Amino acid sequence: MSERVLTPHNKLRVREARLAYALLLPAVVCVTGFMIYPLVYVFLMSVFKTNRLGWLVKFVGLTNFGTVLSDIEFWRVTGRSLLWTTLAVFMKTFLGMVIAMLLNVQFRGQKMARMLFIAPWASSVPISVLLWSWVYNPQFGLLNHTLKITGIWPNPPVWLGYPISGFFAAIWVDIWIGVPFMALVFLSGMQSIPEELYESADMDGVNNFQKFKFITLPSILRIVQISTLLSALWTFNDFNAIYILTGGGPVNSTDILITSIYKNAFVYARFDQAAVMAIITFIILTSLSVVYARYYFKEDV
Amino acid sequence: MALLALAGIMALPSTVFASGKSDAAAVQKQTATFFWANYDGVTEDYRKGLQDAFNKVDPNYQIDIIPVSWDQLKDKLTTALAGGKPPDISVIGTRWLLEYNDMNQLVPPGDYVSPATIDDIFAGAKEGVVNGKLMGLPVAAGARFLAINNSITTAVPKTMEELETMAIAANKPPEHYGLFMVGQKNAELTEFAYYFYAAGGDFFAKNPDGSFGKSLVNSPAGIKALTFMNKLANQDKVVEDGYLGMTRIQGHPLFYAGKIGYVMIGAWVESAMKQAGATFPVTYAQIPPFAGQKSTPLIITDSIAFFKGGKNLKAAGKFIDFWYQSEWKGKFDELAGFPPVTKKASSLPAFNTPMYKVMAEANVNAKGWPLIATWDQCQDVIWDAISKVYLQTATPKDALDAAAAAIDKINNIK
Repeated sequence: MSERVLTPHNKLRVREARLAYALLLPAVVCVTGFMIYPLVYVFLMSVFKTNRLGWLVKFVGLTNFGTVLSDIEFWRVTGRSLLWTTLAVFMKTFLGMVIAMLLNVQFRGQKMARMLFIAPWASSVPISVLLWSWVYNPQFGLLNHTLKITGIWPNPPVWLGYPISGFFAAIWVDIWIGVPFMALVFLSGMQSIPEELYESADMDGVNNFQKFKFITLPSILRIVQISTLLSALWTFNDFNAIYILTGGGPVNSTDILITSIYKNAFVYARFDQAAVMAIITFIILTSLSVVYARYYFKEDV
Repeated sequence: MALLALAGIMALPSTVFASGKSDAAAVQKQTATFFWANYDGVTEDYRKGLQDAFNKVDPNYQIDIIPVSWDQLKDKLTTALAGGKPPDISVIGTRWLLEYNDMNQLVPPGDYVSPATIDDIFAGAKEGVVNGKLMGLPVAAGARFLAINNSITTAVPKTMEELETMAIAANKPPEHYGLFMVGQKNAELTEFAYYFYAAGGDFFAKNPDGSFGKSLVNSPAGIKALTFMNKLANQDKVVEDGYLGMTRIQGHPLFYAGKIGYVMIGAWVESAMKQAGATFPVTYAQIPPFAGQKSTPLIITDSIAFFKGGKNLKAAGKFIDFWYQSEWKGKFDELAGFPPVTKKASSLPAFNTPMYKVMAEANVNAKGWPLIATWDQCQDVIWDAISKVYLQTATPKDALDAAAAAIDKINNIK
């Protein structure tokens, strides 16, 4: 057996590699501790009966899954979560695109406009939602007051008091908070498109819509794909808008999966059933990510 | 194990640094944590002032008073307990005591608070007794009552039926409304309880051994109460516009702004009105019963619980001694608007007012929440029943029948 002789250069590389591993170790330990451990514990809770503090009491196999899946309310909430995500992501993408195009045009005060558009996204989400709860207030709220005094709607609805208006009022707040992010990433994509492409298109007499369809959109398609995926993941799990505005009411009619998980765990102390719902949420979102990733990388090839 | 190892690694530097301190200081200095419920009327200045005042007394015993809104308090406590990191002490609704005691999370306050402090508390206020042991120190207890804006009406109802007539007479929207009503689900079911108790209702049947039995929310009293509430809101229309979108916190400012004739409220009303700059005259009266029933107002009691998992319970006990035996507790009662629970504070002139007299009378027949561990779930179900009636998707009887069945299922009662 021949002994490998390390040159001074190789010794240095080994030492550097060891140092790199040592520096990475705390991060690896943290990620394992804070991501893997909770996942495993949630899985355990889903197959155990838990007490009112969420501690494991007795192994029950798939009983908790049976209880949750046979509950009609669970399917309503799941359907509403999908509707919520689809509508909100579509609107965020559409409005984000429009705003990005507007902000991509050179005009006086462009920088200020960009900064202002970022504000809703840069602000604390719970505080933004709280502000909106006051905007929607039927007595003191800015929205109803404006609608009344301008005569646009003399008897405006109690936005958060009814199932349908409450749901759409909450969706609007989620959109309002999420649009700036979409606009920002679309804008950064648009700014990387070579100006020459548009100049050639101008010479060929291409109109604005055609420029968008044949130059802008294909150039930023990858960015659109990845940002809508991110937005879908965040929107599906957006707890603040619904919990702060309607608390899931009236009569649970605005609950989505994430608020329902919270209620089951912390209001009803049914941690085992909440864990089942969390796992189902995890499966839905992971499936979405996998489908997206396969499509994304397939196109790359 | 991984977490323990991680905790060990993370704790290592602090251990190394701590070894440089004197042993005496390392052993003695304690900082207790206190989850402090945000009471209407009790200001942030008060909380901070109290914390600073105690922390000046003895550097070895410190307090960290963490403000938490009532809506979040139960969730925060449950999370802290589940994670094995409870505060040393917390304000809790007395109705939660049973639940935490069942979970074996409490220690008797008497183990850490001096006998002098406990003896100074009125015997009648010591409601937090479980299995014969005082497990929660009363911090606030007060019956609800009717406040009447005299710039709108001076009529004092003797029955609920009279209240309806008077509220109709006082109603002049949009300038002002006859009566205040909460329509959006929030942390407590107080609104329904006012009417339910006024109709002679009880939430649960009592078993011979004293435990709670079947739900009685769909009793004739329950149906009468909910039918009446719905009539006020949707037929008489004497409540504020948009009541369906109003929680108590959002809606009470309407009364302070002089836009409501009658409101069923707690004693924080005076300090809240003062803070809102309200100047109109107010009279106070009992929440009236329905004709033929006796007056039975809702009484809310809150306690301070000591948690077994707390690491600085001695400091917590010293803080309670300081708070209850100084002028700070009387000031708290005055701001929160609750009648004092300590003999010392009760002698203060601030509590010799018409409002406190009404509250003292109300205490005689007042009734609290049922002490049942699943109460949060039960009240959530009742709230949904009320919302269905307000949204006119169910009749009071159908909604409450369904609620009673759901509550019995929650409590495993057949």
